[in-house]
Amino acid sequence: MSDFNALAKKLAELASNDEVFDAGARVISEGGTPAPLAAILREVDDTVLERKLALESAGTTINLIASGRRLRGILSVTPDKKSNVIGQSLSREEPGTVQAAHDLLHELCGDADRLTVRNYAPEPFGQTGERGISAVGLSDLWQVDLDEAPKPPMERFLTANATAFSSLLHIRQGEVVATSGEIKALKAIWKSQMEDFRKTHKKALSGEDGPQLITLDGALEEGASAAVAVYEKDLALIAYQSDQFGRMQSSWQRIFT
Amino acid sequence: MVGSELDALRNKFSGCRALAFADLSTKMILITDSDSNLRREALDALCGEATVLFGAKGKPALGERQSNAACVASPSAFRAFVRAADEPNDVLCCICDPKVDAAAFVTEARACVDRISRGA
Repeated sequence: MSDFNALAKKLAELASNDEVFDAGARVISEGGTPAPLAAILREVDDTVLERKLALESAGTTINLIASGRRLRGILSVTPDKKSNVIGQSLSREEPGTVQAAHDLLHELCGDADRLTVRNYAPEPFGQTGERGISAVGLSDLWQVDLDEAPKPPMERFLTANATAFSSLLHIRQGEVVATSGEIKALKAIWKSQMEDFRKTHKKALSGEDGPQLITLDGALEEGASAAVAVYEKDLALIAYQSDQFGRMQSSWQRIFT
Repeated sequence: MVGSELDALRNKFSGCRALAFADLSTKMILITDSDSNLRREALDALCGEATVLFGAKGKPALGERQSNAACVASPSAFRAFVRAADEPNDVLCCICDPKVDAAAFVTEARACVDRISRGA
């Protein structure tokens, strides 16, 4: 991409009004979209003057120093995290440090359901002249696709909650497109109950349409619960443990409402 | 007493729009919270949805066992249907804003329907 095109793209992004804020922090990744590491590198790519970028996910804050569209390094992590890469300037001449920075960011927020950023004035970091590595350069080194197309909502929901599901049967237009875990019970439900249930439920709703997440607490053997997520031509039958209910609902709300 | 339980639950959650206590055996809404302005047809539909979600005659509509709490989240509303632990025909039907804290609400709704059902 030429510099002119890159500049035009940045201006278009800055002019867009679809940013979401959470208690003053800007949401840069939601339900895994874009991938958290790609979202971080995009923020670095948007940072021209030196700034401290405070990334926050699930109670963990990662402070980065970025300047000139380059990541200079990881300033600090709270709660305190022991890692040699914290406080180190990034340089292509030290690939071990660059990889360690990737591994730390991936560990702390690679699977983040929601990632936010706040921009602050910079703090002293490294030596003058240690410029770090450009966001585009890091995307190559870390194999992160900065231009990744957003995933469809159902895929975002299923990806963001994969660890909350005991098992999953994902069906699109009647065809199984993905499964995980032990799906024997889900398959039986799909074959023997789903069609009648959806018909009856739709009738009870007097035609209410659109995305739906239906949860049935304790509807499976051994205390497990069942859920049906419906969006356009996708239907996902899910088995989950009750303690995952809140997480699933929060995620659904963020993606579909 | 039932009315005040419903009002207390509704007041606790600003995202709660309406509450109705129903008897599934007769498929009737017995009482709503005092601020509820749902029409009869809407109340019947709510009770009808509860019947569909929980199944009938001990047979689940979906799943291997009858559920004790069913929720339907859509972009326009979050509806929760919670059965009393001791009397499964006693059901609290709830309509909330789509962004209500679903887990916290269902926990409180369970406690509420249990208190109502026991006549505490």
